[in-house]
Amino acid sequence: MGFFSTLGDIFRVLRHTFRQTMTRPFTYFYPFEDRYYPDTTRGRHIHIRKNCTACAQCVKACPTIAIRIDKQDRMYEKDAALHFDYTRCIFCGLCVQACKFNALFHTKIVDLSEETREDLQYGPDRMGTLERKPLKWRGRTFR
Amino acid sequence: MCPEIVDEAAQVWFGPQHVSAHGWATKLTIVGDYIVECDPNAGYFHRSAEKCLEFRNFQQGALIMERLCMLEAFLAEYPYVKAVEQIAQLDVPERARVMRTIMMEASRIHSLQFWWGQFGAELGLFAMTLWPWVDREYFLDAFEELTGSRHAVSYSAPGGVKYDFNEKSIKMLERALDRLEDRLPKFRDMILRSPTFKLRTKKIGLFDAAQGLKWGLSGPNIKACGIPMDLRKDDPDPNLAYEMCDWEVPVTTNEDHPGQCDAYDRMSQRFKEIETSASIIRQLLPQVPEGPIIDPKARAKANRLPEGEAYGRVEGTRGVTTLFLKTADKAQTPYRAKIRGPCFASYYSLKHLVPGSTFADFVVIFGSLDPYPGWWDR
Repeated sequence: MGFFSTLGDIFRVLRHTFRQTMTRPFTYFYPFEDRYYPDTTRGRHIHIRKNCTACAQCVKACPTIAIRIDKQDRMYEKDAALHFDYTRCIFCGLCVQACKFNALFHTKIVDLSEETREDLQYGPDRMGTLERKPLKWRGRTFR
Repeated sequence: MCPEIVDEAAQVWFGPQHVSAHGWATKLTIVGDYIVECDPNAGYFHRSAEKCLEFRNFQQGALIMERLCMLEAFLAEYPYVKAVEQIAQLDVPERARVMRTIMMEASRIHSLQFWWGQFGAELGLFAMTLWPWVDREYFLDAFEELTGSRHAVSYSAPGGVKYDFNEKSIKMLERALDRLEDRLPKFRDMILRSPTFKLRTKKIGLFDAAQGLKWGLSGPNIKACGIPMDLRKDDPDPNLAYEMCDWEVPVTTNEDHPGQCDAYDRMSQRFKEIETSASIIRQLLPQVPEGPIIDPKARAKANRLPEGEAYGRVEGTRGVTTLFLKTADKAQTPYRAKIRGPCFASYYSLKHLVPGSTFADFVVIFGSLDPYPGWWDR
C-alpha cells in the first residue's frame, strides 16, 4: 500500500466525517420535537361528555378493568364521568370501538409518564381535555 | 454416562439471566468444552395465558393471544379468531380475507427479520444485527399507520378485521417492501457466502427429517430438511386468501446431506420464507377488492356463542400454531382454550440436538431453531 493511497483513504474518511457533521442527525430531538404519529395512533383517550349517554359499553368492553364509570357525576342531561386507570390500560381500542355515540376517542398523546402511580389515574377533569401541566426540567419547559 | 465422565462433569445453567437466553433456563452438563447432557426447563415465562382466556370474552381473547408472541402479532391472534368464527359460523367478507392475508405475511417478514438480526447477535456478528432491524422499522411504521400500534396490533376480529387500509398505509407497506427487496439479496449473498458464518453454522445442529417430525418440529425447521410441509398449502383456510396468488412452498435441499438440515440450511430457508412472503404480498396488494371489512352482525353474534368445539390453526413464523376452543351453550367466555405453540417442540428438541457439541455451538443451535418463550410458557 503506497503513501498516496493511504493519504487518499484518510481524506475519504475525513470527507465522510465532515459531511456527517453538517447533516441533521437521524434521531429525533425529544422532547423538543416528536416523531410522526398517524391519525390512527392508539394513545390516551379523550372523553367528550356532551355526546356520552352513560351506556357503559366501554366499561363492559375493557379487558383489563381500566375504566370506571360514575353515573351520579353529571354535567349534561344524561352523561356520566369516566375514570381511566392508565396503570391498567393496554390501549387495545375495544372501548373506542364499543362507543356508538362518538364520545370516546384515542388521541396521539402516548407519553404518559408521571411522578406517582396515583397521577396515572385520570379523573373526569383530565379525561375531558388534552391540556396538561408543562414538564419542567433544569429550568426549561417542554410540551 | 460412565462414572468417570460424571466425576469430571460440571453443571452450568444457561439462563434465565443470560441475555441471549430469551428468559429461559437450560441446564447443561459440560465435560471440558463439550456438552454431554442438555436439560431444557420451561416455565420461567409462565403467565397462565390459557387460564386468562377463560376469563375474557370472545372479543378480548385475541388480545391475549397476540401478547404471547408480539413479533408475529397478526399471526398469533388468528387461531383464536378462526376458532370463534368456526363456532359462531361467521362469514368473512372478501376484502377482510385479503387484508388479513397481507398483514399476516407482513408480520411473518417482520418476525423473520427480527430473528436473523438476533441470530447475528448470538453468533457475535453485531453488524449483522442492525441491518435487518432497520428494515424492520419500516414494517413497524406500516403497522402503526394501519392499526395505530406498532406491536400490539389487535387487528383481526371475529368476522373480519378492525382497521381498513387507507392510501398511506398501503404506501408505507410498499415502501417497506421496496426497501426489503432492495437490500435482502445483498445481505443474503453477504451472509451465506461468508467464511466466518459458514464455519459457525455448517454441520452444527444437524438432524434429519424423520427425527424432526418425531420431535414435533414444524415450519421452517422441517422445510429446511426438504419437506414441503406448510399449512398454507396443505390445509387451505377458507377465511384467508392464499389461493388468490401463485406461490410455491419454499424448501431447502442441501447436496452435502440430503434430507437433513443444519443451522446454515435453516438460515437460508428463512431467507426463502421472507422472499415468498414478499411475493405473496406483492401479488395480493393489487387484488384487494372493494367492500365491507367486517360483517356488521359479527359483533352481536360473537357476543354469546353456541355450544361447540373448534380448532383454529395457522402456519406461523416458527411453525404450526393452533388453538383448541370449547364453549358451553350461550357462553360469553370459553369453557377451555388450549394453545399449541410451535416452540415447545423446538425447545425440547435441544435435549437431543445439543449433546456432543461444544459450548460455543449451543447458542448457534438454539438460535437457529428460532425459539420464542411465549410459545412454550402459556
